[in-house]
Amino acid sequence: MLVWLILIGLLVFLVLNPILRLIVSSLQQADTGRFTLENYRAAYGNIRHLQALLNSLELGVGVALLASCFAVPLAWAISRTDMPGKPFIRLMVFAAFVTPPYLGAIGWILLAGPNSGWLNKAWLALTGADHGIFNIYSMAGLILVVAVTSFPYTFVFTSSALDLVSSEMEDAANILGSRTLRTTLRVTLPLVTPAIIGGIIISFLEAIALFGAPALIALPARFNVVSTQLWQFFEYPVRIEEAAAYSIPLLAITVLMFWLQRRILGRRGYASVSGKGGERRMIALGPWRWVMFGYALLVCALSVFLPMIVLLQAAFAKAWGRGFSLDNLTLHNFYYLLVEQTQAKQTILNTFVYAGVTAVAAVSLSLAIAYVVSRKLVPWSNVLGFLCIAPFVIPGIVLAIGFYAAYASPPLALYGTATILILGFTTRFLPIAYTSSAAGLRSINPEMEEAVRILGGSRFLAIRRVLIPLLKKSLAGAWILVFIPATRELSSAIFLVGPNTRVISVMLFDLSEEGNFEVLAALGVILLIATIVIAAIGSKLIGRDFMLRRNT
Amino acid sequence: MSRLTLTGISKRYADFAAVDNIDLELQSGEFVSLLGPSGCGKTTTLRMIAGFVDPTSGTIEVDGELLSSPKGSIPPDRRQMSMIFQSYAVWPNMTVEQNVAFGLELRKLGKSEIKRRVGEMLEIVHMSHLADRYPSELSGGQQQRVSLARAIVIRPSILLLDEPLSNLDAALREEMRFEIRRLHDEFHITTVYVTHDQAEAMVTSDRIAVMNHGRIEQIDDPRTLYDRPKTRFVAGFIGRTNFIEGDNDGHRISFDGFALPCAAFDGILSSQRKTVFSVRPHSMWLSETQPTTPGICPPVEVLVLERAFLGEHWDYVVKPRAGATTLRVATSPVNDIAVGASAWLQLEPHQMALIG
Amino acid sequence: MYSLRRRDFILGSSTLLMLGISQTAIGQLAAEITPHEKDLYESAKKEGGELTWYTAQSDDITAQALGRSFESLYPSLKVNVLRTTAQVAYQRVTQEIKASAIQCDVFSSTDIGHSVALKARGAFEKFVPDNASKVLDIYKGYDPDGYYFVTSAGLIGIGYNTAKVKEPDAPNNWTNLLDPKWNNNIALGHPGFSGYVGTWALTLRNQYGWEFFEKLAKNNPRVGRSINDTVTMLNAGESSIAGSGPAGTLLQSAQKGNPLALSYPADGTVLIIAPSSIMKGCKHPATARLFMEFLLSARASQIWANHFNESIRPEVSPHEGAISAKDIKVIRPTVEQITRGVPEVIKQWRETFGV
Repeated sequence: MLVWLILIGLLVFLVLNPILRLIVSSLQQADTGRFTLENYRAAYGNIRHLQALLNSLELGVGVALLASCFAVPLAWAISRTDMPGKPFIRLMVFAAFVTPPYLGAIGWILLAGPNSGWLNKAWLALTGADHGIFNIYSMAGLILVVAVTSFPYTFVFTSSALDLVSSEMEDAANILGSRTLRTTLRVTLPLVTPAIIGGIIISFLEAIALFGAPALIALPARFNVVSTQLWQFFEYPVRIEEAAAYSIPLLAITVLMFWLQRRILGRRGYASVSGKGGERRMIALGPWRWVMFGYALLVCALSVFLPMIVLLQAAFAKAWGRGFSLDNLTLHNFYYLLVEQTQAKQTILNTFVYAGVTAVAAVSLSLAIAYVVSRKLVPWSNVLGFLCIAPFVIPGIVLAIGFYAAYASPPLALYGTATILILGFTTRFLPIAYTSSAAGLRSINPEMEEAVRILGGSRFLAIRRVLIPLLKKSLAGAWILVFIPATRELSSAIFLVGPNTRVISVMLFDLSEEGNFEVLAALGVILLIATIVIAAIGSKLIGRDFMLRRNT
Repeated sequence: MSRLTLTGISKRYADFAAVDNIDLELQSGEFVSLLGPSGCGKTTTLRMIAGFVDPTSGTIEVDGELLSSPKGSIPPDRRQMSMIFQSYAVWPNMTVEQNVAFGLELRKLGKSEIKRRVGEMLEIVHMSHLADRYPSELSGGQQQRVSLARAIVIRPSILLLDEPLSNLDAALREEMRFEIRRLHDEFHITTVYVTHDQAEAMVTSDRIAVMNHGRIEQIDDPRTLYDRPKTRFVAGFIGRTNFIEGDNDGHRISFDGFALPCAAFDGILSSQRKTVFSVRPHSMWLSETQPTTPGICPPVEVLVLERAFLGEHWDYVVKPRAGATTLRVATSPVNDIAVGASAWLQLEPHQMALIG
Repeated sequence: MYSLRRRDFILGSSTLLMLGISQTAIGQLAAEITPHEKDLYESAKKEGGELTWYTAQSDDITAQALGRSFESLYPSLKVNVLRTTAQVAYQRVTQEIKASAIQCDVFSSTDIGHSVALKARGAFEKFVPDNASKVLDIYKGYDPDGYYFVTSAGLIGIGYNTAKVKEPDAPNNWTNLLDPKWNNNIALGHPGFSGYVGTWALTLRNQYGWEFFEKLAKNNPRVGRSINDTVTMLNAGESSIAGSGPAGTLLQSAQKGNPLALSYPADGTVLIIAPSSIMKGCKHPATARLFMEFLLSARASQIWANHFNESIRPEVSPHEGAISAKDIKVIRPTVEQITRGVPEVIKQWRETFGV
């Protein structure tokens, strides 16, 4: 019983207290702690602050729609048709998934900077025009950058739903005389609409909570979004209370969206999709399959090829603007990072150590909670499950503010320690870990454990000898699902790092102030390579495709 | 081998009583089935015996030792019982041998002793040749045998079985029923067996407790249960039956379209006027011609409404000429009577069970 | 001994040779450890750990070079160099003060207003380095109470990309930036981040009033964060003009072969004086004192000069191609103006430029 109480205490510490502190400080006077609504007046009394809110909404909606345009046709083509090159396209979607948005943003700055971007230079060379056609420093540019890195969410949602639609559904329409296109539009896609809407909501939320990409693109484009505006509240004089007040609508929007998604996913359409898949055949597209393949390649080009090529070029260039020539090649950017720069080595090490510890902590805690919930070991155990999922609705930057308010100062005085970062990350990724642990646990019949009990084994023996060995694979999968986003987490790290606890994402952000793109790109390449290696080892160990099971 | 006593056991969830005041006593070495439809409380009862669920009221004792009461319960791991689960619950991360040895290891037996006993046990369930296999490499029936071996090898005081055969196909199910009974005859372990399949219960059990809505409706040996159901539910749940209602005036019982003399019932009748009987389709005789040697009761002239040939017998639906109540009658496969024809139905009061 | 270069390692080291700074010269500098510094060194060694230095006074390359030089001068001591923009460094320090968890040992801003405010809050430790009396007179005595000292200085002019703009066409005073021909082609830093840009904007506000920036905004400049970002934008060809062109970073980059030049505006080049302090309650007070001595030393000034920045010591002459503040017309606000004015300028900037 004590063990379970400790778990509950941990959850309160990690999830409940920071959120409460956030809400409480939004209603407090900075110095006296007295109740006031002044923070809200200050936070919303400025037209620029309101404009930033509107900009965030525009960004969210734009990203959600554009990401669906990328994701839904791809998911359909891969799941339901005979389009060529499917494994390759899947791999590229995965690559887009592991690319941090701020790295994608840097790639796109190099590609579509209005005067210097590669695409614009190519355009000028081809047409002789006097200025380029792409301007990444705009709302449209930001939407594109965020959409190409967040479309995998919608893709995963849609394709896993499509995988469950039986061909019989389509046959039933065909037999009544419906052609492929009509069948797809009238039968197949409506069946997975709830999944698509789920994906849209997730990418909307991702977009409005993002900090790195907007900081890189929106600032030069001369507009603010909520996250960059929140950052400004932390300038001198630090106004945590105003920041807290300003982040409440973000919290409210997110909760609202989730409630909406729950309602939509909970409705009938989805239920008919889940369950047994039935027989599935691929639709023969004929010559159109090449058209589909071309579209898929275009999406991959926007999300992976183009940004990756220019990032690699910059990482190995003396000056990226000088282009792809041999005398511009150098390893010095890597040498600088790994040898000369005192911070980088420690930072890289920090990143992977923190991510690893975070993943262990999040998976262990969520497994324990999922166990308590599924076995109903304490009254109100469902509340525990809810608390584990709750951080998902808190944008990283808001969570960090809550953590900062709650734990940075004495008595805990965790400011600048690795502990506060790991705790913050653990909370942030608890929902991912919890969803996979709970799913893993559900797949195991409680009778497995009861068989141990009745033969004379204690609960802990049952967990150790039977449950953990059986869950090994799903726990390893959960570990990687937490590890990868933790290696690149920026928005919650930015307020919690100290000089000795910096992580790659924060260092990238600091370096980007000077526009040091060659070194930035090199650091990004190091991060990506390490992540891909770990993901590859992981998928070898636990079987393919674990990444695409996310969020289901 | 132990004596198991349940006294006034109930389990309530909010205002719903899953198990409602059950008394049940198993003699040492006895095999009792809990039989009933899903939701009748049989599995909850079993899980209370195992210690996975605590009773809301009542007590559970084994050989006079109190195991469960509302004040507290001994956890399942200290009850010296074993259990066979619906899903077999054979641990996929251990081989057949490791599965069977697990309980013995917990009892801190010596290595060689464990090996010997596991070997013997696997021999008994015919699984010796598969000792090194992992469960995923076994068929459902084989997994069930492992599960049996694992439960029995520790010589539990009580063996509990929770719908152990429900995931097997029909042929295998039939084979395993006899296997379970055979093992019981060999080891004489006090056994509680939960099932919703009456045939399983009848093959395996010394006594069957029929449960409904959290209560035991009747507990008896299989034969008595079938021939003398005490309630409408029991009669309907075990085998097929006809319910006929009659009006008892002290001399005759008038049914819809026919009547039978009270004298034929050997005094089993009570004084109440309204009586309900359960009559099995097999305990009536249907003939195309009027019987020449009438029994105690006069034959009733009936009209054949429907019939179906089922190979082992004919199933007829008939209605007395003078009444409206339909009756189901089973006859031998040679007894071929056309739909719409008249026939004579002979009832046998000794085979009629009074249920109210 | 290498000078640290981002783009060209080899070229960097040859620069040193060109300047005639031989290994022996460096050796002589190393020998100039005073007994006072020796004492500090001994107590610093006992502290252990790494000195944490928040600096906004240079680009990352120069900052790292200073850190390495200190480490080679005082073996076994380590400097953790954190280069950010001034406002970000200030934000972190105030966060630390608020959380009562001081991580920073030495704080080097480019906005002297920060030092005034932090001193007033009692956030600094008082320490008067011996070297403070050895700097050029114009950098002396900013805080008679001994809490902060000017450790570097820099000039802001107008940078341009010589491949796109010929010298005669280049702006030669600040108001030229308002010419519509530079529409979409001016790069600026952000006063909300960069201390240099904050002081620069304040200086120009003093000269021309805020209308100057309202007109400048019509030319749709590209606003980055650090002042050094403007140089990157020129190199990339993204902009032709660096409206706030940091002399040191720009000349250093031109030295490497980038098509860059700096125009020193006729109406005055903006001079920035940048102070450093020891944080009260820091974890390495002795190392911090030694580091303050180092920042004010000729050795440090030599490194600044090598990277085309101003030297604050009379012994060190500017890098070839760099013009010293004393040889041109410079303009700068007073400390009081900065303390009061920079926060105002940031606010006005946000209203005018939208971010």
